Amino acid sequence: MKAVETTAPAPAVAARPRRPARRGRAVAAAVTAAALLAAVPLVLGAYPVSMMTRMLAFAVLVLSVDLLTGITGMPTLGQAAYFGVGAYTAALVGVHLTSDGAVQVAAALLAGLAAAAVTGWIAVRAHGIVFLMLTLAIGESVHQLADTWSLVGGGNGLAGMPPVSVLGTALPAAGFVYWWVLAVAAAAFAVVALVARSPYGRTLRGIRDNEARMRALGYRPGPAKFGVFCLAGAVAAVGGALWAAQVRFVSPGDLGFEVAALALLSVVIGGSGTLWGPCLGAALVLLVRDNLSAHVGGHGALVLGAVFVAVVFTMPRGLAGLARRPRRTEARS
Amino acid sequence: MTPALRLEGLTRSYGSLTAVDHVDLTVARGERHALIGPNGAGKSTLFATVAGTLRATSGRVLLNGRDVTALSESERARRGLLRTYQHSSLFLGCTVLDNVALAVQRVQRVAHRFDRPARGFRRVQARALEHLESVGLAGRAHDTASELSHGERRQLEVAMVLAAEPAVVMFDEPTAGMSAAETERFATLLEGLPRSLTVVIVEHDLDVVFRLADRVTVLHLGAVLASGPPAAIRSDEAVRAAYLGAARTEDLFTGGAR
Ligand SMILES: Nc1ncnc2c1ncn2[C@@H]1O[C@H](COP(=O)(O)OP(=O)(O)OP(=O)(O)O)[C@@H](O)[C@H]1O
Ligand SMILES: [Mg+2]
Repeated sequence: MKAVETTAPAPAVAARPRRPARRGRAVAAAVTAAALLAAVPLVLGAYPVSMMTRMLAFAVLVLSVDLLTGITGMPTLGQAAYFGVGAYTAALVGVHLTSDGAVQVAAALLAGLAAAAVTGWIAVRAHGIVFLMLTLAIGESVHQLADTWSLVGGGNGLAGMPPVSVLGTALPAAGFVYWWVLAVAAAAFAVVALVARSPYGRTLRGIRDNEARMRALGYRPGPAKFGVFCLAGAVAAVGGALWAAQVRFVSPGDLGFEVAALALLSVVIGGSGTLWGPCLGAALVLLVRDNLSAHVGGHGALVLGAVFVAVVFTMPRGLAGLARRPRRTEARS
Repeated sequence: MTPALRLEGLTRSYGSLTAVDHVDLTVARGERHALIGPNGAGKSTLFATVAGTLRATSGRVLLNGRDVTALSESERARRGLLRTYQHSSLFLGCTVLDNVALAVQRVQRVAHRFDRPARGFRRVQARALEHLESVGLAGRAHDTASELSHGERRQLEVAMVLAAEPAVVMFDEPTAGMSAAETERFATLLEGLPRSLTVVIVEHDLDVVFRLADRVTVLHLGAVLASGPPAAIRSDEAVRAAYLGAARTEDLFTGGAR
């Protein structure tokens, strides 16, 4: 490959050979990761499997945060609201209509899309810290709503959701729920990955890097930002539905500020802008919050804060940055 | 024939400072028009006002005879009025190819498609690569824009604005920061552009100005001091007299103390 790069007469030719190798490696990594994830219930016991199910659901929320923050450059603290909308929608569908997981996910997706559309058209007009504050306000409003509205159980939350069924069969064990959640999460990942690589994704990165220049090139950033905000709302809601499928209980705490902050933290730890980095970040953050917390006397938040500071100082590109550096030097030589 | 660009009494103030002062200017279609003047004359402010980045305090901008003064910057760009920036304004976190492809995909109306990966849009990719080749950056297509040198960034800026397929393009000191070889490449590129394209260029390099320009306008303290063919401007007494300490007009063109 090096020989080709140095001897190729036309620069256009020299620019190409790097691509297939990189793509091949990415596909191999994705297949390996999927196979490993799919094998989890065969190897691990019920508790770790349910833990990993929640990680997958949370990772879908984190993906939606990354779509806004890492790819479009809109830092958000409001995605937990749409996650919550999805979780409550799925739970309500589960309690009152059907235990069919696909119906629950579809209903959550539409509800998240609608909620993001209603709130987003104001939010996307703002920039930077003002946008962050607006999303925070949206998150708190939805949290308040969930906390006081008796139809969704108010502060007690919503319980009594029957086990999820897929294709008419109730999923009998934690492993099957895991596989269902893994399948939907993988689909969400694929959709977000496709958007990120598409011309629209390029437009979003352009907005992230230099919105004024986009306007000077004839773009209208407003509608593009609104579009991704709606998409992110739908993705977060799907994450919420998956969360509900595993936990079978939804409470206002699931859409509170803490969840939104942890999601943003996962993106930073994982490396914003890449997709797999924040997914790893999500797993790490949830692991610390739910498991380590007990061992450090309930100071999980403190540990996460320390991790955050350490990451920002030692790995500015997050976990994804670790894998990136070697490729850079190779490309340069 | 309606001029490609016409400015009527265009004025732009920063508070009490009138940076652009009742500028009347007509640029015919296909013309290569140089805009010169000392530092602070208001050249960049004029470009920003014409492009719509800045709102005009008063006056009008007509593009192909149509009043675009009320239109936003993005609407003007869609009608083919584009500019480059004196200080490079790029998408530094994106690849070099993406920078140009952003312009191309907007023109080809696929900027919001997400049904397949960007590399599947062959026409966009090929066109973007062509533009990169024309400025000698094809070999850096997959590098991040922030890795480019200053001169390369200037070249990328040129490729990007041309990829947006302008009808009227305004270059603000495009060769500032370019090496001699890069400047030569730019001049050759400009000479090769089709005459359907109208070019206004702010340039301090005298050689480039006289090599490329059909007409020259001199801006001084925000107002038009003189406008005409290069030879006439070169020998214009008013131009000469207006510049303190500039014994020869050549000093003016080279930007004096720059
Ligand atoms: N944002 C601003 N606010 C206030 N004054 C400004 C601003 N930008 C420019 N000016 C002033 O407006 C006048 C014109 O500036 P401008 O940058 O348009 O000049 P220029 O001809 O492009 O100069 P140069 O050759 O240095 O690029 C200058 O006196 C400058 O100080
Ligand atoms: Mg200037």
